Amino acid sequence: MDEKMMEDRKQEAFRIGTAVIILLAVLTIGEYWLGSIASVWWAPLLGIAILKAFFVVRDYMHLPRLFASEEEAQE
Amino acid sequence: MTTHTSTLSEYRHKLATNRLGLWLFILSDTFVFGGLYVSRFYLLGTTQRPDVNQLLGFVVTSVLLVSSYFMNRAESAMANGDRKNFLRGTLATLILGIIFLVGVVGVEWQIAPFGPGDGAAASLFYTMTGFHAFHVLTGVIFLSVVYRNGRKGHYSPERHWAVEACAVYWHFVDVVWIFFYPALYLIGLPPV
Repeated sequence: MDEKMMEDRKQEAFRIGTAVIILLAVLTIGEYWLGSIASVWWAPLLGIAILKAFFVVRDYMHLPRLFASEEEAQE
Repeated sequence: MTTHTSTLSEYRHKLATNRLGLWLFILSDTFVFGGLYVSRFYLLGTTQRPDVNQLLGFVVTSVLLVSSYFMNRAESAMANGDRKNFLRGTLATLILGIIFLVGVVGVEWQIAPFGPGDGAAASLFYTMTGFHAFHVLTGVIFLSVVYRNGRKGHYSPERHWAVEACAVYWHFVDVVWIFFYPALYLIGLPPV
């Protein structure tokens, strides 16, 4: 793999990582605010937690790699 | 060249097996954390929560989430041959992990107006945060090993399973806290 391709791939990965952390920050602030004003609303708070976990598992833990072929998973 | 290709192919095959093993470990660990999570709702329901500092909970949660961002950055950097960003990201993750530990064990445990012996719910709070903190500590040790090896020039874009495993483990610890945070700090009201 040439350097240019690796650099492009890295930048793309960094972009996704940044988008996810922004999303997580927004959701966490919303969660904190919701918990302060309506702490008995457990369902929306659980929903936010599931959404946050989904993004971490998909984009940071790269769960799809587990189901990829050996060559694809290396990419 | 043939030897190199065949070795790389073997490595990729092993990598697939390693990944499966790591995810099976994570699945088994999830059941333990899941048991603790369910116990919290069994004991306190959705109307009560431990009397803890909500702002501190928000701060430590943010620290852990940002650490995951740096871990992801470090892994992506290594996978694409950028050793400098890999080392920076790993070090940032390590430091943030230590800050999280200090926040929970060093601050929250000290300021909480209850101790582990003050009933089942109080005991469960210390079990949940303690068990999680132990995982964070394990992650910090793992990160130190990866950082040290990375500085010595180990790992390459083709061979960096240890970095990937460390990242997946770290993010798992983050996911656990994503569920523990609302359960311990946000859902329900503290006892009057």
